[in-house]
Amino acid sequence: MNGRLQNRVCVVTGAARGIGLAIADRFGREGARIACVDISARRLQPTVAELVSRGFDARAFGVDVGRRGDVHATFGAIETEFGAPVAVLVNNAVWARFQPLAEIDVDTVDRMFACGADGLIWTMQAAAPQMERRGGGSIINLSSVSASHPAKDSIAYSALKAGVVGLTRAAAMELSPKRIRVNAIAPGMIGTPASIAQFDKATIVERRAQMPLGRFGEPEEIAGVAAFLASDDSSYVQGALITADGGWTVAAK
Amino acid sequence: MRRLEGRRAIVTGGGSGIGRASAIRFAREGASVLVVGRAANTLETVDLIRAEEGKALGMVTDAAVEANVEAMVQRCVTDLGGLEIFFANIGVTGTNTPLLEQTVEEWEEVYRINVISCFLAIKYAGRHMTAQRHGSIILTSSAASLRANAGAISYSASKAAVNNLAQTAANAFAGTGVRVNAVLPGLVETQLTRKVFEDARARGIEGKLGHVTPMKRPGRAEEIAAAAAFLASDDSSYVDGQLLSVDGGVSSTHPYGRIAL
Repeated sequence: MNGRLQNRVCVVTGAARGIGLAIADRFGREGARIACVDISARRLQPTVAELVSRGFDARAFGVDVGRRGDVHATFGAIETEFGAPVAVLVNNAVWARFQPLAEIDVDTVDRMFACGADGLIWTMQAAAPQMERRGGGSIINLSSVSASHPAKDSIAYSALKAGVVGLTRAAAMELSPKRIRVNAIAPGMIGTPASIAQFDKATIVERRAQMPLGRFGEPEEIAGVAAFLASDDSSYVQGALITADGGWTVAAK
Repeated sequence: MRRLEGRRAIVTGGGSGIGRASAIRFAREGASVLVVGRAANTLETVDLIRAEEGKALGMVTDAAVEANVEAMVQRCVTDLGGLEIFFANIGVTGTNTPLLEQTVEEWEEVYRINVISCFLAIKYAGRHMTAQRHGSIILTSSAASLRANAGAISYSASKAAVNNLAQTAANAFAGTGVRVNAVLPGLVETQLTRKVFEDARARGIEGKLGHVTPMKRPGRAEEIAAAAAFLASDDSSYVDGQLLSVDGGVSSTHPYGRIAL
């Protein structure tokens, strides 16, 4: 049976673990051919080996998405290796540190924005011409509920993730004539080690109690949203933000 | 993928447009569907589903009347064996009478059909779903709930109320596992908007329909149905209290021009 992404070349950044890995796996089950991108080629190897063992056409591409020239070269290599232009791009890679305003330094801010903002511009810039050549495509950018509901010490992270919403809408307007859709997902509290490590135990208990669904999300639940946005099921969804937070942000606290 | 295998769904406004497309889509995903509508075309939807080996029942009734909503939930549970999905989709457009001349009677009728129907769906589906501790309720809102000049004023205000119901009901159902979300279509050719499309065709400007959206085209009922299927399925299992715009980008960007309604 054909999946909704049958034979489409899908790029997932930050694919080595967590939400990125869950998305790569889900796309594989939808029939996609997956270009797994991560800053560390070494960290990608076991991930890609696992995806291949599940029968998926997955390949590893190590690149720092904050470096424009390297990103363009990588997207060229992806098209060459798969023998087809990129149809779907998921911008999931992020490098984040959480520090109070008084302490945050230049290197931290620069590195966060290079990966989480500049990186999205470079990957979209490299992917869009390939998508245009194949008659369209879908770009999915990972924002966060922190964009509108900042957590503690998230001055840079909140700015970064609010920026993702703005650049998603701007790219949607610009790329729509090329039949490219650009949408964003705002996950809430997802139970990955990286997100759990960000909060103390009291905050975790409090957050959970505030969510109508009463639990943290699983990476697979973000992958379900990404699969919708990647597929033709979302063919009239453009410039949208889908929040997947168990209802956390709907209520006054 | 058949993501709704074994589930039971009620779709109101199922005789045409978004409701018909959604009932068909849900059935293709494996759900048994109780198709509800006020007109005889409701049963045509049932026939279309059965013609492709899907399972469906029909009920011709007004889904904005309390006793009818209670009865349809009962019928779904009794005859289809349960209820996991309720797509509250009936609606009327209101009129484009100048604001200063509109009447309370018109507003009451728009609110009865667009808002009270959603409250009743939440109330009766919610009773069943909170008891079984899972379920997905989907409300049809509109891009007009977020922006002026995308529909009649009473319609726009009523759809904003629907958005709020999705959020407040999701919160009211906290801890029950029942999700409530809204889908916000842009311009789609349905029974409600047929006149807009027919007028445009008559004037030879059909190509201008949807030109205010970045995608430069109106949507199709099947595209809204696909979004509803996402919200009905476990693919949206962590999406709750949300407003999903399916509008070609009209609500996420500045207007490209004025909508001729």
